[in-house]
Amino acid sequence: MNHTPEHAEHDHPTEKQYWVIFVVLAVLTAIEVAWSYIGVDGNALVLPLIAMMVVKFLLVGGIFMHLYFDGKAANGKTYTYIFAAGLFIALLVYLIVIASFEFGI
Amino acid sequence: MSDETVQLQTQTDEPDAEEHEHEEHGSEEHASSLGLSNMKLAMWLFLGSECLLFGALISTYLLSKENFLREVQAGNPEVVSTLDKLNEVDPEKYAEVIETNSVFPIFDIPFTSASSFILLMSSLTMVLAHKAISEADYKNSRIWLAATALLGSTFLAGQVYEFTVFFREGIYFDGNLFGSAFYTLTGFHGVHVSGGILMLLALLILSSRGKLKQDRAETVELVGLYWHFVDIVWVLIFTIVYLIP
Repeated sequence: MNHTPEHAEHDHPTEKQYWVIFVVLAVLTAIEVAWSYIGVDGNALVLPLIAMMVVKFLLVGGIFMHLYFDGKAANGKTYTYIFAAGLFIALLVYLIVIASFEFGI
Repeated sequence: MSDETVQLQTQTDEPDAEEHEHEEHGSEEHASSLGLSNMKLAMWLFLGSECLLFGALISTYLLSKENFLREVQAGNPEVVSTLDKLNEVDPEKYAEVIETNSVFPIFDIPFTSASSFILLMSSLTMVLAHKAISEADYKNSRIWLAATALLGSTFLAGQVYEFTVFFREGIYFDGNLFGSAFYTLTGFHGVHVSGGILMLLALLILSSRGKLKQDRAETVELVGLYWHFVDIVWVLIFTIVYLIP
């Protein structure tokens, strides 16, 4: 079904669902903090922290910023593409800076 | 009723019907050729460009911190001397920084975790404010907007406190690479939070004067997008700067 922006508006979560997302975000933050104190090192420390950070990022972006719901509307994914393009270029800039400093490229 | 009268009646009704439609779909008149709101599209473009700003700041922080720690490990007296005041104020913390070769001991993680929780909560109140105004629940929308501004101000106060503690410990903006990059990154984020608080207060004033009605819910949504973006950036900063040593 081709959703219009109005349809997408009606698909937005209920107040209760927003609270559930907030609780999930708060729990993830608590786990992140606990994980940083747990005493693991290297990838065992960094990878779960990065994973939790990405999940939090997607939850805020997808639910609170409505990217998930706007994406259901006709051409609604344009917002996601614009934001993703910004993120992609930012990541690219980071990698280029790291490469130029670390490897003298 | 004669045909002429019906025709006249239709002609007089038409502008009303148009006006009504205009009121109902107030934001739609600004739709782009994609059928999307121009204002929202502009906001997303702005947020996309903001990714570049914060991407550059986070990259600079990571590189500067790495460089700083490398110099500390190498025992460069010029760099190590920038930690002299920390040694005076808190010798234990200083010893931990040198021993672990990490800036992790400098941070007060429980305090920053509480700040992060407050900012996350402000995202919830922001989304509830938008939901309330979309449903023409003006009283609740004002309450949630005020709560968001209050939570944002609390976060900002926490950041000022953190800066004060760092300053007392001798971590200055022009002291070493770590200090410069840390204050620039978190300071820029703080400026964004301040901008968001001003926008929220403007919305509150408009709403209390009765100038923010359901047909302008998109204005609240746009401020909300900005606010959530500020929250999302903090999600990244909290993990990358504070939690990953």
